[in-house]
Amino acid sequence: MILEAVKYMILGMGVVFVFLYLMVVVLDLQHKLLMKFFPESFEDSSKEPPVTTKREKLKKVAAITAALHHMKNS
Amino acid sequence: MKKRVIQFLLALSVVMIPIGAIATVSHMSEGAKVEAKAQKEVYESKGFGEMLYNFWKQTGIYAFLHPQEGVKNAKGDEVTKFQQSFGRLIMIGITFLLFYLAIAKGFEPLLLIPIGFGGLLANIPLANIIGDGGFIGELFKAGIENELFPILIFMGVGAMTDFGPLLANPKTALLGAAAQFGIFGTLVGAVALSQLGVFDFSLQDAAAISIIGGADGPTTVFIASKLAPDLLGAMAVAAYSYMALVPVIQPPIMKALTTPEERRIKMTTKRKVSQLEKMLFPLTVLVLTILILPESSPLIGALTFGNFVRESKVVERLSKTLQNELINIVTIFLGLSVGSKLAAEYFLVPETLGILILGLVAFSVGTAAGVIMGKIMNRLSKEPINPLIGAAGVSAVPMAARVANRVGMEEDPTNVLLMHAMGPNVAGVIGSAVAAGVYLSIF
Repeated sequence: MILEAVKYMILGMGVVFVFLYLMVVVLDLQHKLLMKFFPESFEDSSKEPPVTTKREKLKKVAAITAALHHMKNS
Repeated sequence: MKKRVIQFLLALSVVMIPIGAIATVSHMSEGAKVEAKAQKEVYESKGFGEMLYNFWKQTGIYAFLHPQEGVKNAKGDEVTKFQQSFGRLIMIGITFLLFYLAIAKGFEPLLLIPIGFGGLLANIPLANIIGDGGFIGELFKAGIENELFPILIFMGVGAMTDFGPLLANPKTALLGAAAQFGIFGTLVGAVALSQLGVFDFSLQDAAAISIIGGADGPTTVFIASKLAPDLLGAMAVAAYSYMALVPVIQPPIMKALTTPEERRIKMTTKRKVSQLEKMLFPLTVLVLTILILPESSPLIGALTFGNFVRESKVVERLSKTLQNELINIVTIFLGLSVGSKLAAEYFLVPETLGILILGLVAFSVGTAAGVIMGKIMNRLSKEPINPLIGAAGVSAVPMAARVANRVGMEEDPTNVLLMHAMGPNVAGVIGSAVAAGVYLSIF
């Protein structure tokens, strides 16, 4: 019985390791392929600084001024 | 000729139908008479005292005070006298303990509250809520016996999990594999102890119990209902309570196996992960599953489905439903039905103690194996790997990763390991599903 369980242990750990190791290899390969063929997908679109026009800046200044004014008065 | 035949048939039907109808009616009225007679027999007038006494016999107090020999529960299983009286009271006490842990200590309240309440309802005498026709009994049949609920939970888990940290550093998946040693190591241990006569578990029971080492609730329920349905209640309670106790159980093991220098290791930043990569990940894993271990495809299939829904980014509604409504509803049902196995007749048996002990061993061994693998990988690989993240290889997401992070911060407050620990953590989910698949293919 114990020997049987040890066999199952070796089989089980073997399968788990092989599965996850294969997964690592495939993911690395996939990463390389994507880097090669779809490099644009790795560029962060969210990190681009938001474009602010002069008008928007003025609006911000106005808002801050209004807030400060409100604070002082209350 | 034909006309005649048709005429004859028509005439026959004209005669036969009324006769049939009359016969039926008279038969029905006879039946009604019999019933009425029977009812008359039941309703013989009784003295008020007798009625009161009969009612007293139907109260819970009477049932607790006067356990009877040879009583069977709604499922047809024998209930001993002890289980009917003190057993039920002990179990009700245990459910209150679960409430306390969930509310005051904050241990997995989402699960312990439904499980605890299910257990409370299961221990009500005479009500038979967990039997056929009882609502929890029906829930159990609808989703646990056929392993439906764990699969649905896995879909939700897939939709809630971001595999980005794993994709950023795929190597760490090996830590998630090492932690599964808790499962298989405990299998050997349980079988050995059964041989020595300490416990009395069959090979299948031992396998089912050892899966607790994966620290994965749905997988445990899934395997238990397949391999050892009798032990389901204790196993689920053990799995969920050890998951809740991750912050208590893991740190001592992690500290014992690592030196302060190792705990201070800072991990380098990881590679970038594209949205496309995230979207392809569930499909890749599923293809691997199909090729290597189709037996585990129910679990991994559901997990990858949920994750694909999430990462495809075009079905936001479905993704939200999987993450919230579906998983919440199923958690309620699963918790209540698992709780029904907290009935005294199922829980207060000698096996429960063995399950609780072996589950704890499995869990600790898994943690230790992850940390040791972390140390080995740190020696072998070029980039530094903090062995603490190995402990996150058991799949309790995201609790185990948080614990690894916290233990690291105790040594060096600037060392943030959380995202690095999430990699082995989510790999542990896949790893324990694979281990479950191995068991299913063996037995």
